[in-house]
Amino acid sequence: MPNRPGKKDIFLTGLWKDNPVLRQILGICSTLAVTNLMVNTLVMNAGLIFTVCMSSLTVSLLKNYTPMRIRMMVQTLIIASYVIIVDILIRAYMPDISEALGPYVALIITNCIIMGRCESFARHNPPVASLLDGLGMSLGYSLVLITIAFIREPLGFGTLLGFRILPEGFVQWTIMIMAPGAFFTLGFLVWIFKYFQPRNEGKETK
Amino acid sequence: MKKQALSIVYMFLITLFFASLISAVKFLNEAKIETNQIVKLQRIILKVLDIPVQEAISNENLTRLFTAQIKDIQIGKKTLYIGYEEDRRTIRGYAVPVGGPGFWGPIEGMVGITPDAKKVLGLAFYKHNETPGLGGRITEDWFSDQFKGLPLYPIEGGQNIFFLTPEGTQKRANELDAITGATNTSSAVEVFLNQELDFFLREFWGSIEEKE
Amino acid sequence: MRARKQNRTMEQIHPLTLLFAAIFTNNILLTNFLGLCPFLSMSKGKKTALGMGAAVVFVMASTTALNNLVHYKILIPLELEHFRYIVFIVVIAAFVQLVEMTVERFFPPLYYSLGVFLPLITVNCAIFGASLFMVIREYNFVQSLAYGAGSGIGWMLAILTISAIREKLQKSAKLPRGLEGPAITLIITGLLALAFLAFSGMIRVQ
Repeated sequence: MPNRPGKKDIFLTGLWKDNPVLRQILGICSTLAVTNLMVNTLVMNAGLIFTVCMSSLTVSLLKNYTPMRIRMMVQTLIIASYVIIVDILIRAYMPDISEALGPYVALIITNCIIMGRCESFARHNPPVASLLDGLGMSLGYSLVLITIAFIREPLGFGTLLGFRILPEGFVQWTIMIMAPGAFFTLGFLVWIFKYFQPRNEGKETK
Repeated sequence: MKKQALSIVYMFLITLFFASLISAVKFLNEAKIETNQIVKLQRIILKVLDIPVQEAISNENLTRLFTAQIKDIQIGKKTLYIGYEEDRRTIRGYAVPVGGPGFWGPIEGMVGITPDAKKVLGLAFYKHNETPGLGGRITEDWFSDQFKGLPLYPIEGGQNIFFLTPEGTQKRANELDAITGATNTSSAVEVFLNQELDFFLREFWGSIEEKE
Repeated sequence: MRARKQNRTMEQIHPLTLLFAAIFTNNILLTNFLGLCPFLSMSKGKKTALGMGAAVVFVMASTTALNNLVHYKILIPLELEHFRYIVFIVVIAAFVQLVEMTVERFFPPLYYSLGVFLPLITVNCAIFGASLFMVIREYNFVQSLAYGAGSGIGWMLAILTISAIREKLQKSAKLPRGLEGPAITLIITGLLALAFLAFSGMIRVQ
C-alpha cells in the first residue's frame, strides 16, 4: 500500500465512504429483518458492534500465529463464539427482545460484514487499527439501520421505541412492518446514497 | 507433514479456548435465563386469573405472590394451576396451559377459567412465532380481553365456543374480532383454542373436582 | 437443567403443507430476508441463478434434515445445545465440501458449470437460517426435510424471478443515476415480496 491511511481515516471510511450496507451491500439480511422496531434495531446494533470489534481484534492479535490453510475455519470459530456469547447475554438480560429477534442474533455469524473485515483488514493489520476499522464499519452499519427503523416503525406502528409519536387517527402503513416495506426502504436509501456518492475509485474492499 | 500437525494442534487449542469461554458464560447466566422463564410463566398465570400485579414488581415479590396464591396439580401429563383468593381458601379460578400450531410455528398460551368452569377469566399467549405486528398481535390486550367472560361449554355439532370474524362483522355474542391482515394466525388460533377448551372440559374437569 | 423436547403440537402440521408454505407463503428470501447478499453483488443472469438454485435446494434440504438429527439426537442428550450454532455451520461446511468432492470426482462436466457456486453456498445465510428456524419451530425429521426442500425451492424461485426481471429491465430501460445495481434489485425484490403476500390465503393450517 503506497499511502498508509491514518487511524482517523480507517475509522471514518466505514461510516460513510465505504459504508458496509450502502456501499458494500453487506449485512442485508439482518438490516431488513429487525428494523421494523427501533428497540430491536438498537439491540442488534450493540450485538454486531461487539462481535465485529472483538472478532477483528482477536483475528489481528492471532494473525502471526494462525496457519494460512485453516484461517477461514479459525475466523469462523472466533466469530461464532462471540455471537454465542452475545446470544446468551441477550437471553439472560433482555428475554423479550431475544424472542423478538429470534434467529437473527445467530445470523450475525453469517453476516458478511464481519467475515469481510477479518479477511480483508484484520488479517493484515495491527490490533488497534483493526479495532478502529471494525468500530467504524459497525457504526456505519448501525447508522443505516437506525435510519431505516426511524422510517419503518413510525409509519408502520405509529410509535418510536414504544412511545406513540403519531396521532391515534393515523392509519398505519402495515406494509412497512412487513417484508416489502423493508426492501423498498433500503432500496431507496441505497439509491440516494449512490446518487450522492458515486463509484468509489481506488479503494475496493471485497 | 509438520505443518499439518501444527494446524491440527492450533485448531484444537483455539477450539478448546473458545469452548471453555462459551461454557463459562453459559454457566454464569444459566440461572438467570431459567429464572426469566419461570417468572414469565408466573406472571402469565397471575394475569389470566385476573390477580393484580404491579408493573414494577421485583422477581422475588412476584414469586412470593405466586407461591402464596397458586397451587399446581398434575393431571396425567398436564400441569394445571389452581388460583386462590387472598384468604388462600376460596378458589378464584384455574389456569390451564393451551397450545397448538399457529401459522409459522407452535403457539403457547394460558387460559384462566372460573371455579365452576362456566366462563373464561382471562387469556394470554406467551410464546409464538407469528409475524410481529400482524399475527403477533395475539399477545395484545385488546385481543385477549375479548375472551373475558366468554361462556364455556363442550362443543356439540360444530357449535364452537367462539369464532373469530373480521372486525365489525360480529353478529352473536361468541363472535370475536380476528386480527385484521392476519387471517392465517386468526384461523389457526380459532381452530386449536376451541379444541383445547373443549378437551379441557371433557377430559380434565371431572378429574379436578376429584383432586380437590 | 431441563432439555427441551419437541413440542407435541407441532407434529400436527403436515410436511407437504410445510413444503408449499416454505415456497410461497413463508418464502425464506421474500419474508425472512435470507440469502440475498451473494445475489445482490452478482450481476449475472438466469443461467447462474438456475445453477446456484439447484445446488441450494439440495444442500438446504440435506443440511436442515441432518442438523435436525444432530440437534435432537446428539446435542440435546449431551446437553450441548448452546454449541449448536458452531455445530450447524461445521455440518454445513463439511457437507458442502463433501458434495464438491463427489461432484468433481464423478461428474466433472457438472463440476465445471456448478462447482464455483458451492463454496459460495457455505456462507449463504439462508442455509444456516433454515436450520435455525427448524430449531425454533421444533420440526421433526420429516418436517425438517420438507421445510429445507421447500425453502430451497422457494429461494430458487425468488432468485430466478428477480434475475429475469432485472435482465429484462437492463435491456429495455435506462435507469436514473444511482438506481442501477443493488438499489433496483432491492425494489424489484420488494415488489415480488408484495406479490407473494397474495399467496397467504392459499395455505390452511389444519
